[in-house]
Amino acid sequence: MMDNVIIGQYIPGSSTIHRMDPRAKLIAVFVYVIIVFLANNWLSYAFLGIFTIGTVLFSRVPLPFILKGLKPILWIILFTMILHLFMTKEGPVLLDFGWTAIHEGGVVQGVFIALRLLFLILLTSLLTLTTTPIDITDGIESLLAPLKRVKFPVHEFALMMSISLRFIPTLLQETEKIMKAQSARGAEFSSGPIKERVKAFVPLLVPLFISAFKRAEDLALAMEARGYRGGEGRTKLRLLKWKGIDTFALIMVGVLIIVLFLLRS
Amino acid sequence: MKLKPIDITLAAVFAALMAVGANLTSLLVIGSVPITLQTFFSVLAGMILGSRLGAISMTVYAVIGLAGAPVFAQFSGGFGMILKPTFGFILSFILVAYITGKIVESNSSKKSYLIAALVGMVINYAAGTNWMFAAMKVWADAPEGFTYKMAWGWMLAPLPKDILLSVCAGLIAPRLNRTLSKTSRTIKKSAA
Repeated sequence: MMDNVIIGQYIPGSSTIHRMDPRAKLIAVFVYVIIVFLANNWLSYAFLGIFTIGTVLFSRVPLPFILKGLKPILWIILFTMILHLFMTKEGPVLLDFGWTAIHEGGVVQGVFIALRLLFLILLTSLLTLTTTPIDITDGIESLLAPLKRVKFPVHEFALMMSISLRFIPTLLQETEKIMKAQSARGAEFSSGPIKERVKAFVPLLVPLFISAFKRAEDLALAMEARGYRGGEGRTKLRLLKWKGIDTFALIMVGVLIIVLFLLRS
Repeated sequence: MKLKPIDITLAAVFAALMAVGANLTSLLVIGSVPITLQTFFSVLAGMILGSRLGAISMTVYAVIGLAGAPVFAQFSGGFGMILKPTFGFILSFILVAYITGKIVESNSSKKSYLIAALVGMVINYAAGTNWMFAAMKVWADAPEGFTYKMAWGWMLAPLPKDILLSVCAGLIAPRLNRTLSKTSRTIKKSAA
């Protein structure tokens, strides 16, 4: 199940969106998350919808993967829609149950909010569907580089992310191994009273932590032995390249901002 | 802020441990409720790595999850997670690790480990629930009917198991620290 840690949710592909610079994608998504709130009438929502669905289609990520990303947020969309249906009391009454009534304003507001959440989740999940975690790490490192001035360890932070991604599958395997080894010695992880099962944690956690820390120490030693001295003057295996399409994408986002400002009421 | 290689690798490995802890229950089940050991591990991060490194490692955890690695509970991840109302809990782990670390650093008696673990849990709940409330207000424009009380009512269900788990963390952490300081040369330094 954890085989996919390194690639995360990434769906390999060769679309323009896949080949964009991760920095451009990160900037675009951040701006998008803010400007979604500009839309406040049918026209602006329609425009936002065309832009969002167009981008999703453009990425040529198969539909099932898109829908999978929507699943966790679905109940929130439903919940807020119902909340707005019954609790926003604006405009003429559409349905009267006696104890409560559905107003037109509630329906409109409910649909708007559902659309907003839908668009947000579509575009944000598109980022991780078309970019590997490693690429995003590189992008973050490059985008946050100015923070080095204020002594924020940008390079070290990106390195920690890469190391961590690399170690997750290893540690999961290790956990399974230790569980089997301790079960063979008679530890009960899945049956018995709760107190016993909580106690069974200790013989699992102690070896897990010891092995994890040993790995960390070995790696640190190996880094020192190879003369690791931090990010200063270090060259990279994967270089990020800003292409014409990245500038174009950001211009498109700029156009979206202007249009939303013009359309909002 | 200067980070030595050992600081970098320890924080990275603890972020990976956190990913294991978030999904440990898919490997073993306690009761029938799906529980995560995230609070438990974030408390341990502060106690074992210390406040500064613990907080850094929890930040790394949150960011790799956002970058798409399936490290959050139920093997979820991705930038869309930022929209889930429960994202505040993931952010609160940073604060939890920092503050439990600070408490244990100032006084490392067994009792203070226990207090630190419980304080950590309280922070986790307070920050997480407030974030959830704010998220519903901002992302979903929740109307007046969605009250602050409703948000807290939501959180009452998992409370007993989290109290239990924090007590466990408080009891296990000194033991882990002792064992680790025997087997590793570095942990003593970074915990002190």
